Amino acid sequence: MTTPPIVTLSDDQRDCYQELTNVAMGQAADRLARLLDSYVVLPIPKVNLIEISDLRMAIEGAQEEDAVSAVCQGFIGSGIAGEALMLFNDTSFTDLARLTNYPGELTHQAQLEILMDVSSLLIGACIQGIGEQLEIHFNQGHPVVLGQHCNVNDILNVSNQKWRRTLAIEIHYTMEAVNVDCDLLLLFTEDSVLRLNHVIDFLLD
Amino acid sequence: MATNILICDDSSFARKQMARAIPTGWDVEVHFATDGVEGVQAIREGRGEVVFLDLTMPNMDGYGVLETIRKEDLPAMVIVVSGDIQPDAQERVMGLGAMAFVKKPIDAAKAEAVLTEYGIMTRA
Repeated sequence: MTTPPIVTLSDDQRDCYQELTNVAMGQAADRLARLLDSYVVLPIPKVNLIEISDLRMAIEGAQEEDAVSAVCQGFIGSGIAGEALMLFNDTSFTDLARLTNYPGELTHQAQLEILMDVSSLLIGACIQGIGEQLEIHFNQGHPVVLGQHCNVNDILNVSNQKWRRTLAIEIHYTMEAVNVDCDLLLLFTEDSVLRLNHVIDFLLD
Repeated sequence: MATNILICDDSSFARKQMARAIPTGWDVEVHFATDGVEGVQAIREGRGEVVFLDLTMPNMDGYGVLETIRKEDLPAMVIVVSGDIQPDAQERVMGLGAMAFVKKPIDAAKAEAVLTEYGIMTRA
């Protein structure tokens, strides 16, 4: 067995990832804002190399005791692969249902539909936004529901057994005057980070 | 005389990208600021006749810069270059006196288009 190369992240690289994400999440937020007719507050995205065991700490929006619902969706292109993980605080669904004019009662099934719709929109726009800037076309897998009304720790336990150290980009979306709180995490495999860093270095040159 | 251009963005990558997008053959002197506070200072000192301004920045954001320019009646033509492209953000900056709004990522074609459209660029 060969030792995997050490993945590192310089300040310039981190800055570049942040800026690329900033642009991509702006495009995603724009689509969400138009769908919900509300203003999405854009944070500064957090870019870190983390141990998978520390993933819980990377998630800002959901508190330990909160019930969350989550979706993940894989993406791959030009030898770069990763997972997008979308976590919603369950208190978000009442307002999301209202703003999307969801008809009828807010049942478990209704929440599932809203969860899938909003996740696909945000994940898709973000992944494509980053891809466009890097001139990589990402193919997206099917979104998978990791759980509804669960504890954050339970979600993370099922979703991440694969890698140890990963590049994590975290975007914590909130909305102005509306109770919508969600986290989008982009996690890249270790091999992918090495390739991504190459592309980034080219941009920085 | 060279036009003083200020690029105000907290990301060094974004500043570099913006600097590269400035049309060649335009007689300019390029200055940089890494947040709104530095940006306002540079404009007060005459280093920002034309400002390329980011919105999301620490210390003072782009909205704060626009408000200060208005309040102090500073001589600056501001082009907002932003990743936040929501309709509300665009309306808000135009309401605060920005001359134009350009969506990130910026490139030479977009920069040239906006500079020409508003008659800002004068070729040497």
